[in-house]
Amino acid sequence: MPEAPATTPTSAAAPAPTPAPAADKVTVTIDGKAHQFPKGTNLLEACNEAGANVPFFCYHPGLTSPAVCRQCLVDVKGQPKPVPSCYTPVADKMEVTTNSAHALDVRRQMLEFTLLNHPIDCPICDKAGECTLQKHYFDWDAKFARNDGIKVRKAKVVDLGKHIVLDQERCILCTRCIRVCDEVAHSSELTMAQRGDHEVLTTAPGRRLDNPYSLNTVDVCPVGALTSKDFRFAMRVWELYATPSVCPGCATGCNVEVHASRDQVYRLVPRLNPTVNKHWMCDEGRFTYKRLAEPRTAIPKVAGTAVDWDRALDEAARLLRAGVGRGVGTVGVVFNAQWTNEDLYALARLAFDHLKIERAYLAGFDEGWYDDILVSADKNPNTAGAKAIGGARLRTLMDLSRDLKARTVTTLLVGGDAGVLGPNGTATTPLDKLDGLVTLATHAGPVADAAQVVLPVAAWAETDGTFTNKLGMVQRIRAAVPPPGDALPGWDALSHLGRKLGTPMDLTSAKQVFLEAREKLAFMRGADWGRPFLPVQLRFANTRG
Amino acid sequence: MDHKGDSDSYASAGNLAPPPPPTGRRVVMGIKDVSDLEELELPSETMPLNMGPSHPAMHGTVRMVMEVEGEKISSADIQVGYLHRCFEKESEYATYTQIFPYTDRLNYVSPMLNNVGYALAVEKLLEIDKKVPERAQYIRVIVGEISRITDHLTCLGASAMELGAFTPFLYNIKFREWLWELLEELSGARLTHSYVRIGGVSGDLTEGFGDKLRDVLRRGREVLVDVDKLLTRNRIFRDRMDGVGIITKEDIGAWGITGPMARASGVAYDIRKDHPYLVYGDLDFDVPIGSVGDNFDRFAVRIEEMHQSMRMIEQALDKIPDGPVMLNDPRVALPAKSETYNSIEAMISHFKLIMDGIRVPPGEVYSFTEGGNGELGFYIVSDGTGRPWKCRVRPPSFANTAILGKVLPGLFLADVVPTFGMVNMIGGECDR
Repeated sequence: MPEAPATTPTSAAAPAPTPAPAADKVTVTIDGKAHQFPKGTNLLEACNEAGANVPFFCYHPGLTSPAVCRQCLVDVKGQPKPVPSCYTPVADKMEVTTNSAHALDVRRQMLEFTLLNHPIDCPICDKAGECTLQKHYFDWDAKFARNDGIKVRKAKVVDLGKHIVLDQERCILCTRCIRVCDEVAHSSELTMAQRGDHEVLTTAPGRRLDNPYSLNTVDVCPVGALTSKDFRFAMRVWELYATPSVCPGCATGCNVEVHASRDQVYRLVPRLNPTVNKHWMCDEGRFTYKRLAEPRTAIPKVAGTAVDWDRALDEAARLLRAGVGRGVGTVGVVFNAQWTNEDLYALARLAFDHLKIERAYLAGFDEGWYDDILVSADKNPNTAGAKAIGGARLRTLMDLSRDLKARTVTTLLVGGDAGVLGPNGTATTPLDKLDGLVTLATHAGPVADAAQVVLPVAAWAETDGTFTNKLGMVQRIRAAVPPPGDALPGWDALSHLGRKLGTPMDLTSAKQVFLEAREKLAFMRGADWGRPFLPVQLRFANTRG
Repeated sequence: MDHKGDSDSYASAGNLAPPPPPTGRRVVMGIKDVSDLEELELPSETMPLNMGPSHPAMHGTVRMVMEVEGEKISSADIQVGYLHRCFEKESEYATYTQIFPYTDRLNYVSPMLNNVGYALAVEKLLEIDKKVPERAQYIRVIVGEISRITDHLTCLGASAMELGAFTPFLYNIKFREWLWELLEELSGARLTHSYVRIGGVSGDLTEGFGDKLRDVLRRGREVLVDVDKLLTRNRIFRDRMDGVGIITKEDIGAWGITGPMARASGVAYDIRKDHPYLVYGDLDFDVPIGSVGDNFDRFAVRIEEMHQSMRMIEQALDKIPDGPVMLNDPRVALPAKSETYNSIEAMISHFKLIMDGIRVPPGEVYSFTEGGNGELGFYIVSDGTGRPWKCRVRPPSFANTAILGKVLPGLFLADVVPTFGMVNMIGGECDR
């Protein structure tokens, strides 16, 4: 569980009451107070763990430290000059002062140098509002300019790659992006060129920044030098509300923040989870939010005509009853690996417990490319959950296609339209052979078009629930925006359908479904729903930049 | 259409029997018989009487439910809250600077005093209260005292008008208008000034402001003389004010009453004197107090306070030093536009101040100033972000209005108007 990792470091949770140093621990005095840290701990991390709040640009907790920004200088007793704490391991009996007048002054002077050639771009800069340079200036410098010389001009719009634009003037030469390419994507496209105040970030000769993790460079960039072509000029960051969630792009289940404003999602950014994705996510995952804006089902429909929920549910119940009347073996149900555990659990209760349907199939998006960094071949976020809930009854889409052709199955209840048509361009599922098709659909398209009854349901980012990733971790997703039109969460729509079928399921909230499912399903045991969360506007959240 | 039925009904109406001839009894003014008037006994049951919230003397914002025995009030239930606008909750969603327009709308007849009181609270929390430039402190005193005069002018004029004396009201409003014109010149807005800023004021005094103000005060003194002639020796006015609504010294303390109301009852508590802030310590002024604690004392104290305010303004105009009117700190004050457009440092400062707000260190503060009606307090809790975690107002009007429930019983119904008028309850700050 990301909310409560099983591997909580007990040493950090319970500090030793007596300063009896363990063999692998060293005692460091930070601002007059003694602390113990494991040998080899980075001094910057040690200081900030002790609450000293030492600033930095080039250091990143997920990358190596080159100590180029000199923003984390601290005074160490016995050293003639302040040392870069991000590049210094702790040593026994070290005495560190993070807030001495001298250390503060040299840090301020370094900031003054950094600002010397920085363009006056804040009003047009995408990073403004989540910019580390702005934050550090305000927190640590806050002095007016002493220099009114002419700033060094560099290239303003450099097209670095498929998703990235570089503004060389804004770059503060921290090299974080270079290290992301080197250490996360293992592709090394970026480098520094020239020297002094003419130094610029650029791609290696003949290369483009087009690795599958390129947008992480935008996240780590402390200023607005690297910007995402997708997010650029789309929205001012301080207007966004951040909701913690999980990427629906593949079975890895990278933890993300959904940044939305006025009921529209604008971007996904990775959220730290040490066991799943650390600080990173792939470019493909970042664009999964675009699917929310594709043509959606917003109103219930019967035979292509918009109706209210009541009529649609009546018709759906009639079709399913007729199907069961012809023999329960002729009725099939499609589970979808894009759905949350809660929606799937409600579907299983309705289909297996109440309607006694035996024929179940698992749908989802096609497998795709993968690597050994983050991307999984399985492009569905909840295949593990769907398989655990559906159990041995689940068959493949090929089976569905065969059963439809043979007219073994003549009535179908589809929970989630994603990928139901079958692998792209190959075995198209012959939905036209059905006598009755009830679809709980998020998106308009062939599956919704073929259905006699379409019940609109909320997609990812519009509903609360949990996904089970390929490691078996049950991770919480949260609603960041409301669903379109009259769409309801899947469990809610199924609960209403159950009532029409004479089998009330009494599902009242996603949390209640989760708690009920956790009682019954082994793979969800120990999972935690997490605390209620109120999205905070980024301008006041103080979490970025 | 067939109109027959209509004409039929008219016809039948015309055929109604004439009213029965009068009997021997004459019914006058709801009393059964004129002859009853002589031996009229008051009804033994009290009558509930509702005043407000929509009543011309209730300032549109307060409701009094009274039990009356004839003309006499036996109990009064004062119900406030009709002008509740969630000032405190709204403030939690605004940056510290964005709250100034909300404070304008607390006591809306003396917005500058609210501006100043709020700014002082935040400055205390920021620990820059001693660093605000002296010229800004003098300007704050000047505009604050102008606002106090406009507050009292409104209170006295409106109360006189409610007692039927319309002329003094017009005179007072004329004087108030001269002052508001000056404040408009200074801030751009006649009523909702938002002129004060954390760390100073938004702009320096305009060209010739001091001379214009002195001239207005000279003419204003003449107005006050006229008003004095019209009211202070006016038999009707005195009869309605003298000895009505007496509040004892003990009650002043027990009910937490401050300001002119407290001073009229002989409690010489003036925050400007007892806990001097800004440059009040350097100014020479007297604190008028009353001896009886009735409505007339409250009237007279306000008249004298206006004279004292004018004294203070004139001293401040003499003493005001040259210099900046805003703190020179990029973390608090917006840099000059020329700096903002031409240096990245000032640009970042401007950006952060507008977008994130002034970062106020975590902590809590209670800061209090002398508002138009008494102690105006701001209790602010900061969590270190650019907007307050809690911004509570201690409005003087709230405590001052509360005692009406005790004062009104025993008075006549007609005394409600002058007594309530002298409380000078301002819905904006009482209900927030």
